[in-house]
Amino acid sequence: MLSLDYRQKMKVGAWGFVLPIILLHAFAIVIPAGAGIFYSFTSFSGIGEANWIGLENYSRLIGDESFHAALLNNLKWLLFFWTVPFSLAILAASLLAQVKRGAMLYRVVFFIPYVLPSVVVGSLWRFLLHPDDGLPGLASTLGIPGFELALLGRSETALWTVAFVDNWHYWGFLAAILLVAMQGVSKELYEAARLDGANYFHQLIHVTIPGIRPTLLFMFLMTGIWSFLVFDYVWVMTGGGPAGSSEVIGTFIYRTAFQNFEVGYAAAQGVAVASIAITILILFSLLRKRGWEI
Amino acid sequence: MNNAIRTSARVLSSHFILVVLFVFAAFPLAVLIFNSLKSRTDLAQNPMGPPTEILFSNFVTAWNESAFLLHATNSAILVAGTVALILTLGGMAAYSLARLELPGAVVVMGYMISLTAFPVWLYLVPLFFQWRTLGLLDTLPGLILIYTAINSPLAIFLLRSFLVQIPKELEESAQLDGASRWSILLRIILPISWTGFLTIALVVAVAVWGEFQIAFVILQDTDKYPITTSFLAFAESYGRDWTLTSAVAVIAIAPIVTLFIIFQRRFAEGLTQGSVK
Amino acid sequence: MKASRISMVSMGLVFALAGCATTSASDTATESGGSGSSESAEGVVTMWIDDNMVNPCFADVVGGSWTDQEIGLQIELKPQWDSLTKTAVAAGAGPDIIMTPGVSYTAEFAKAGALVPLDEYSDLYGWGASFAPWSMAMGVSDGTLYSLQGELETMVLWYNKTVFEENGIAAPTSTAELNQVADQLSGLGIQPFASGNVDWQGVNEWLLSSVWSAQGGSDNVYAALNGSGSFTSPSIVEATAQLTEWMQTGYIGGGLDRYYTTPIDDYLVQLAQGEAAMNIEGSWRFENIDQFFTEAGSEWDWVSFPTADGEPLFSIGTGSSWALNANGANPDAAAAVLDHVFDAATQAALVVQCGMSPSPITLDMADLSSIDDRQSRLYAEVAAAAESGSYGYLTWSFWGPKSNTYLVQEIENVWAGTMSETEFLAGLDAIFLEELEAGDVPPLPLR
Repeated sequence: MLSLDYRQKMKVGAWGFVLPIILLHAFAIVIPAGAGIFYSFTSFSGIGEANWIGLENYSRLIGDESFHAALLNNLKWLLFFWTVPFSLAILAASLLAQVKRGAMLYRVVFFIPYVLPSVVVGSLWRFLLHPDDGLPGLASTLGIPGFELALLGRSETALWTVAFVDNWHYWGFLAAILLVAMQGVSKELYEAARLDGANYFHQLIHVTIPGIRPTLLFMFLMTGIWSFLVFDYVWVMTGGGPAGSSEVIGTFIYRTAFQNFEVGYAAAQGVAVASIAITILILFSLLRKRGWEI
Repeated sequence: MNNAIRTSARVLSSHFILVVLFVFAAFPLAVLIFNSLKSRTDLAQNPMGPPTEILFSNFVTAWNESAFLLHATNSAILVAGTVALILTLGGMAAYSLARLELPGAVVVMGYMISLTAFPVWLYLVPLFFQWRTLGLLDTLPGLILIYTAINSPLAIFLLRSFLVQIPKELEESAQLDGASRWSILLRIILPISWTGFLTIALVVAVAVWGEFQIAFVILQDTDKYPITTSFLAFAESYGRDWTLTSAVAVIAIAPIVTLFIIFQRRFAEGLTQGSVK
Repeated sequence: MKASRISMVSMGLVFALAGCATTSASDTATESGGSGSSESAEGVVTMWIDDNMVNPCFADVVGGSWTDQEIGLQIELKPQWDSLTKTAVAAGAGPDIIMTPGVSYTAEFAKAGALVPLDEYSDLYGWGASFAPWSMAMGVSDGTLYSLQGELETMVLWYNKTVFEENGIAAPTSTAELNQVADQLSGLGIQPFASGNVDWQGVNEWLLSSVWSAQGGSDNVYAALNGSGSFTSPSIVEATAQLTEWMQTGYIGGGLDRYYTTPIDDYLVQLAQGEAAMNIEGSWRFENIDQFFTEAGSEWDWVSFPTADGEPLFSIGTGSSWALNANGANPDAAAAVLDHVFDAATQAALVVQCGMSPSPITLDMADLSSIDDRQSRLYAEVAAAAESGSYGYLTWSFWGPKSNTYLVQEIENVWAGTMSETEFLAGLDAIFLEELEAGDVPPLPLR
């Protein structure tokens, strides 16, 4: 048996392994975030004095309709991302799990969009979405209605179009992760289901999905959090327009801090977003405590 | 008879769906590559199809005009530095959380995952001031430290889940021999889980290669800018010449795509390792 | 404000030109696309400017003609230079010479105590004599001179002369005529106005600046700007409604969806090729309009933006504001550089060689003899109008920063139909008056 002494040393040493990265976090994230929280109670503009104004930024936030509109857009984004990429990923992964030949090629091609920087993807799709020269133009020429107008230029379609592009970039990543999870589901369960006469969909719902539940729920969690932090694609493709129809919290905060130079107000917004994301986290961990395997 | 038909119908339809998804994923990239090889008149007449005549001149211009080597090197430095730091410091932390019975591990884990929820704009401005005081502003190492801090929580979380699955017996025999934690980590744990580490490295590399927000604020010397800002600048000023912009895009993504293709088999293995979470 | 981009621009060009950045006859160092520290140091004056298509030429001209033996000049082109400057100055650093997109931004620096007062230097170098009085007034904050204004800008109506001549259309001078011409063009299947704001949301305020002063009436705008009137005055409301109608019927940009997705280069091509016939834009377009029309083989010209009463009117303002950083090591040297930038010879060279707009200083027209007639005609007419006191106001030069942001962003809601013109303008009133009281609005030259 290992001596008590050894175990004691192990515990202290264990902290030694963790400390460096925690110190780095403290320096690069926690302390600045603390300063950010402080700024949220001031009217700091990025230059000059940081005058204390108490909760004024927060009360302003509560009444700020543009902020609410942006938040609503994040919720729409969340809805989109909890459905579309997951459907595509589950579909692709479950099909690939059964394919013997060429699976590797599919996996690589599905994943490559994820590897591309957002600035390239955004730029490329702006070209592809051109109403005359791009895919919509092609559709119109073929007689498919609804594509004569620039999708990124209409308030009704701008946000969903950006979401579509980000989805193109993201779903392959999700598929790769879920595929691996599916490979861990025991083949016998599928056999049993088939003997019971289950078809593809039945198997999917009663064997595959329950089998990958931990991974699936974890990805739901991360996707959920990331939906509130989205910035790159909206910024590169529409800048939040037109008329704020594709504005999300990320672009809104960026604009407040770096264009309107209201750092204090932007910090308050940042605190609000962090609270939302952390609430989601807490919800998930509570569910986990109640036995939902995550 | 019926069964056979149903089976082949099923196989056919699954391949059909996969092919549709394949085209969905690959088509835009194909268009990008096609356009980088076209002349401007070719593009005007034929926006999305293959080039009628293949030109490589766009690539030459792109290489020169965008100072590709300079900026790609910057990006490479950022990636290498961040990956190295995350794998070491993050690997150590993950090891500790997974195998060293860290007291308060749950709290640390909770803390890690909460950090992923912090939006960068909350602390970007104060971070700027702080980095300035520390003399880290406008330096690549300073940026690397920030990327490490931001990308490590999730990396540690995932690495930990890889390491947790390693059977304890392997370690215990080494411990009985009085081996130090370090040598256990390096000689036993690492060889088994290195594909997991590789996977994390790749995900971090992708994130750092494509980052532009923070780089933009922290770096002020244009010579230090990474490939993302270089590309954006190019797209904006040469926007009218989409063939040229496409060529820049292709060379901007070539390194990371190549890296992925080389390592993708290991990457898949790495994901498998962590699959049971 | 010039069409410089919100985010990043021509780095490639910078590096291409860095290779040929000249070192002048003496040992002064001139760098574009800086390397090394931008910290203020004795013996070197640093300047950060926008990284756009024309500034490399600016750096060449200004840097190349700086002949002081003892003071080096380092001009750095930076994307998003304005927010970089702000954060750097706030952190106690930044360039010696601060350039901002407008006087309301430098005013903010001044209020925070970040700038060196310029009154002494003005006396020393005689700036009061060379700068137009209205522009000098703008740079004053709390009774002290803090900034000099550069790049005189005015809104004009550009048009495709070839298209007009082919269809027997005369250039309009009044609002009624403008509407007639627009209708006529539309009937011919030609888009009346080319435009698009995907590159620069500020295109919104190019349009507003034009219609408010020309159609709403410069006197009304003046009254609103000094607090004695209101932006909800009927003619301003009407002018805004007129603009909205043009946007919604597709007269401008070919439809709202196109307006929001068309880059500047694309709409200039449309204008040059005759798909669109007019363009509401500023005098900065002299920079490159020729290129587009030469490529398309057609002719361009401009008229002052048509007014309600048909009398010519120029809405003026400035595109940049220049000041001295209080964190700088050598303000005297920096002031000398500033004087050099605004020297009549330098400014003339900038106009002739780079196609840039001159600053509102007294220029020798002989120096400008090599530029296009249409361009020198503009500068002459604007100078005359300014002197006679009949001019309009560009929103980015005479509004405070918050009200400026408001009008650029919220007008899109009016165009989308979710806000009425009156609501929009009432909102503007409220924010503007707040800023006026807080002293955040640039000083208004008396009429």
